[in-house]
Amino acid sequence: MKIMRRFVSGIVGLTMLLTGCATTNQANNSRLDLIKKRNELICGVSGKIPGFSFLESDGSYKGLDVDICKAFAAAFIGDAKKIQFRPLTAAERFTAIKTGEIDLLSRNTTFTLSRDSSEGNGLSFAPVVFHDGQGLMVKQESGLNNLEDLANKSICVGSGTTTEQNINDAFESASLPYTPIKYQDLNQVVAGYLQGRCSAMTSDRSQLAAARSGFKDPLDHIILDDVLSKEPLAPASDGQDQKLGDAMRWVIFALISAEEQGITKSNIYEKVQLAKNNPELKPLRRFLGIDGGLGEKIGLSNDFVVKVISSTGNYGEIYERNLGKNSEVPIPRGLNELYTKGGIHISPPFN
Amino acid sequence: MFNINSDSINTLFQKVRKLLFSNLFNTVLSLVILLIISLVFFNIYKWFSLNSSWEVVTTNLPLYAFGSFPTDQQWRPATWMICLLFISLLTLFGPKWKWLRKNLLLAWIITIPLGLYLLYGGFGLSPIMSRQWGGLTLTLLLTIFSALLSLPLGIILALCRQSSLPLIQKSSSIYIDVMRAIPLISVLFFGQLLIPLFLPVGIEIDRVWRAIFAFTLFLSAYIAEDLRGGLQSIPNTQIESANSLGLNQVQIIRFILVPQALRIALPSLTNQAIGLFQNTSLMAILGLVELLGVGRSILANPEFIGQYIEVYVWLASVYWMVCTIMAVLARHLEQRMTINKTNFQKL
Amino acid sequence: MNKHRNIFLQYFIFIVFISLFGILINNLAINLIRTGIGINFSWLLKPASFALAEYPLPYSASDTYAWALFIGWLNSLKVIFISLILSTFIGTLIGFARTSTHSLIGLIAAGYITIIRQTPLLLQLMFWYFVGFLGLKDNILIHIENIFKVSNQGIELYGLSFSSEFSALLFGLSIFTSAYIAEVIRGGILSVSRGQWEAFRSLGLSEIKGLISIIIPQALPAIIPGLTSQYLNLAKNSTLAIAVGYSDIYSINDTIINQTGRAIECFIILLTSFLFFNLIISNSMEIVNKIIVSSKKYN
Repeated sequence: MKIMRRFVSGIVGLTMLLTGCATTNQANNSRLDLIKKRNELICGVSGKIPGFSFLESDGSYKGLDVDICKAFAAAFIGDAKKIQFRPLTAAERFTAIKTGEIDLLSRNTTFTLSRDSSEGNGLSFAPVVFHDGQGLMVKQESGLNNLEDLANKSICVGSGTTTEQNINDAFESASLPYTPIKYQDLNQVVAGYLQGRCSAMTSDRSQLAAARSGFKDPLDHIILDDVLSKEPLAPASDGQDQKLGDAMRWVIFALISAEEQGITKSNIYEKVQLAKNNPELKPLRRFLGIDGGLGEKIGLSNDFVVKVISSTGNYGEIYERNLGKNSEVPIPRGLNELYTKGGIHISPPFN
Repeated sequence: MFNINSDSINTLFQKVRKLLFSNLFNTVLSLVILLIISLVFFNIYKWFSLNSSWEVVTTNLPLYAFGSFPTDQQWRPATWMICLLFISLLTLFGPKWKWLRKNLLLAWIITIPLGLYLLYGGFGLSPIMSRQWGGLTLTLLLTIFSALLSLPLGIILALCRQSSLPLIQKSSSIYIDVMRAIPLISVLFFGQLLIPLFLPVGIEIDRVWRAIFAFTLFLSAYIAEDLRGGLQSIPNTQIESANSLGLNQVQIIRFILVPQALRIALPSLTNQAIGLFQNTSLMAILGLVELLGVGRSILANPEFIGQYIEVYVWLASVYWMVCTIMAVLARHLEQRMTINKTNFQKL
Repeated sequence: MNKHRNIFLQYFIFIVFISLFGILINNLAINLIRTGIGINFSWLLKPASFALAEYPLPYSASDTYAWALFIGWLNSLKVIFISLILSTFIGTLIGFARTSTHSLIGLIAAGYITIIRQTPLLLQLMFWYFVGFLGLKDNILIHIENIFKVSNQGIELYGLSFSSEFSALLFGLSIFTSAYIAEVIRGGILSVSRGQWEAFRSLGLSEIKGLISIIIPQALPAIIPGLTSQYLNLAKNSTLAIAVGYSDIYSINDTIINQTGRAIECFIILLTSFLFFNLIISNSMEIVNKIIVSSKKYN
């Protein structure tokens, strides 16, 4: 029995040691330091949304969400290629952040109160990278024109998303009955709609447009004017990690601010030279990290803006590349223009 | 065998007549069935030649095979898969030289570290993280490693269940029964979303290995159950005589119980392996880009939206091919084993 | 001495496992506190705020999560139960066909079994749904006025209507399981000695009558255990409903996890419900087995 007791106490001691180590290890360590130490950013994306993140034939990921990840990697590590994309389903994305499986999420995620709050999903959202709204797409020949026409019809929707809640709210407030047909991802929603399982499909309007651009006869489908909800899509990280949250916030603002100032991927080094040669260009010098030491205040290098813009370009360039007129999924910029051009993107000052 | 002359055609003709058209009922039945078969084939042919476009398959072949593995390094998984295929063919159709047969097992074993080395890199090859594995490579990898890890665990569980120590016997049978009662997808879900919560902070296991771990947890319970039958069918007299020969417990387990139980359970074990290969497709629901996952990702590319029929047909044929190869290999293995069994019974 | 050593060994192993388990639980607790997830079930009583396409009992989005889960559970039960009957029926047919003396039928049955068994169920389900049902587009496959209608909206039978999601899942599951049941049936039939066949033939009974009254009763004891495990597999496989958009217990769990982030609680609920399904199936098969055994005795 004596041996036994010693043995038990040994085990208990070992347990405490193992778990004790764990608790001390994690105290106040920001994910940002871990990313730098790892020299690689793990970015959660969808991998299945045209225009935002999808797999190219050469095996690389492409899209707006993907470029945002690249901007983060450039800012945090200094190299937009040091990045691992983790395709995630809608259901696992928040758990993946909470468990540390991924560093941050850039996965077409709608910014909502309950996701942001510590009582809810406990995330922290970076500024909105794409202002979207939920819409409905129907076939031209069906003659359906508005929400009322869709009463008692089936509607294809992605499950577990805000989309699903919004469509329910819309129909409920109009007291109209409907049947939701729920699928796991967008391409299944598209398949269900194209094959006539549903009279309409609902999703963010950008996704509807993206999907439609891939159809055989895009003109046979119309996106209804009803906008069911605001869908501000934003990158997100763990709400308890303020340092990472701050860094992400200012990387996005840098992308927008660069567009405001006309700083692009091609002229960034000229602008740096310009700022270096002209001490009176104070705001530009602060923005590009020559003066002020702003980067260090958020745990990044002072010239993080230069690294970001030189690898991904400014917000406008990212938009043009993925969703612009000449891209595979052209979506008009609308709300996503700068505030100076009728949109709502604006960056606070870099002071 | 291939020498066809009029005589053999004649006998073939008679055989067919005897088999299919022996009486009126059979004749009608045969004709109806043949009609249905030809209709089905005609429609499939029509769809193949007219309504399908295979660009979604042909342009993405490397993606199906290797996922996001860096393009300039794709020769590595390719080498591995060709090795596997070559050894399979050699095992099945290769010459029956004795030295070759003896070394085949060794070759099979070597493919595993070789595969790991080629995929992970190191020692002269650029390292590649398991997150970048995908497509058929990942599917094969999940299958092979889950099978390899769950076999010993399954053996241990089966032995524990036969144990005379009540505590061990009870806990292992609870594990086996509970595992067999719950759906695989929930275990995989546990592996992907919940395992990180059970690890100390700072320790991370990659999701590929977590998937393998989950498959192992699940499959070992089934293997244990299959082996139980085998273990029970071994007569007690064998253990007694082994005892009288002075073998200790470990030796009895190693040389008497396990090999026989494995041999008896072989058909069900190979079925489990084939089932495992198919079930790796469930990881597509949980976001891993294995073979089916790649297919679903490709369907999101604006270029290929809506071409799912081609993708599904293509994937089904790939799965079917690999399963068939596995099944043929399994039968080959079973045949070799039963030769021993008949010898054994003769004694 | 040896006995004492064994007992000690047993406790040793047990304690190692318990402490490993303890470490894991401890880690979990630390992680839960650190991430602020926590475990509680109070969210079950909050409104679910998602609609469902199919509900055997009244359901609306303002009902609670608990009720939504129960509806999902019923949906699962529905598809499992009907598929159980259908797969037994198809499986028996194929099993007989496999043992048939008509070689073409035997060949087709064997081909059916190999094709079905050697492709993943998940892929088959997607194929049935997206190609089989939705592939009909606006065409109607079969339409017999007021009796039977198959279209991309599902199946209508005497006013009963089944959605295409349900139907695809039902067919996919039943056909997949039937290939396995066929093998069980074949094994059972083959286990009856050849003498029995010759005996009833010499008595002048027809093949089908002999099969039903002589062979099957004798084959049943060998068939029941295999059948039970196939039924259990069927229940477990029904969770793949999520791939075809049918709201079963797993897919509703998935939605709820996405909305609330309560992964652990949902996992516990899922496990409990499946242990329950299992109990239902294995207990009823036990009863069936008892009835067979006792009816044999009276004979």
